[in-house]
Amino acid sequence: MNEKRTIDRRGFLGFMTWAIGGIISAGFGIPAIAYIIGPAARKEEEQNWIRLGSVSKVELGTPTLFKTEIERQTGWITNKEELSFYVFTENGRDFVALSNICTHLGCRVRWIADQGQFFCPCHNAAFAKNGEVISGPPPRPLDQYPVKEEDGQLFVLGGG
Amino acid sequence: MITRVTNWLDERIGWRNVWEAIFLRKIPKVNWFYTLGSATLFTAINQAVTGILLTIYYAPTPDHAYDSVQYITTQIPMGWLIRGLHHWGASAMVVLTVLHMLRVILLGAYKYPREVTWFSGVFLLLVVVGFGFTGYLLPWDQKAYWGSTVGTRIAGSAPLIGDWILRVMRGGAELSAVTLARFFGVHVWVLPASLILLLAIHMYLVIKIGISATPGREEKA
Repeated sequence: MNEKRTIDRRGFLGFMTWAIGGIISAGFGIPAIAYIIGPAARKEEEQNWIRLGSVSKVELGTPTLFKTEIERQTGWITNKEELSFYVFTENGRDFVALSNICTHLGCRVRWIADQGQFFCPCHNAAFAKNGEVISGPPPRPLDQYPVKEEDGQLFVLGGG
Repeated sequence: MITRVTNWLDERIGWRNVWEAIFLRKIPKVNWFYTLGSATLFTAINQAVTGILLTIYYAPTPDHAYDSVQYITTQIPMGWLIRGLHHWGASAMVVLTVLHMLRVILLGAYKYPREVTWFSGVFLLLVVVGFGFTGYLLPWDQKAYWGSTVGTRIAGSAPLIGDWILRVMRGGAELSAVTLARFFGVHVWVLPASLILLLAIHMYLVIKIGISATPGREEKA
């Protein structure tokens, strides 16, 4: 633009009104975004070894369901939450701990002894005893957790 | 490009006339006291924005109200700021509303033809006071609880129907979960709806009639 731009009083005040209004809006908008996404941006709590129960409860070759309660802080509430794991061993020494949460959309799977597979009732998914997908929509095998045995007790490493 | 879009829109919805009527209208030469109404409007917008944000985390039950407010203040990023703006903005809004009214009284701006603007303003004052009264209970701390106990008792001291008023305000004989829930409902639904309606009338009249000039001495003939 070659025209000489002159700013008159009216133009200047109009510009300043927009500028100050913009600053005030940003002063509300930026903290508002931080405020809204705050809880989502929070890091997951650290993982803990969660005690499941006695090793002797695990039947050889059959996934056994363990239920345990943990305390979880959500917002301003401390909740008791029930966690379930299937523990499976072929030889009584090496254990595999599987989540009972279907990897498709989060329903709970259960072990069907007759068919020798895990079944999810929501969309008819089937998983093998080691968690591999046999049929249905799940995108990946059941989640596995690190598991250890100490003094005849089983522990899994999970979110606290 | 932008001009093309704004022209396209103006041709269809005629926003330019509205814009000019609101923001480019002619006003008499006045002083800074005439900005008190706009300042009050600004605090109202502040209360609306921060109030909506607070409802994202606040839980209006005796079990959770106090804890959720503490959660907002100490755990949520900028929560202290949002709550602080709402808390102090509430006081600022009451003060500015009263100062705005004083200016209108002292400069005689309520006179013909602006009586209806004045009436709507008086109801707006009641709404603002109602906001302050109901909002005071919501943090559900000691100050809130006893403040509202005393406040409802004062309303209850009216002759004849006092006890009935007190019971309606509290939703029973005592300050309880029912009281907290209805104060919350009034604070976030009833009063904002009333405020928007009254504000629309008030602002329409201000723009339609135009503001009054500062009163001057009669010109000598």
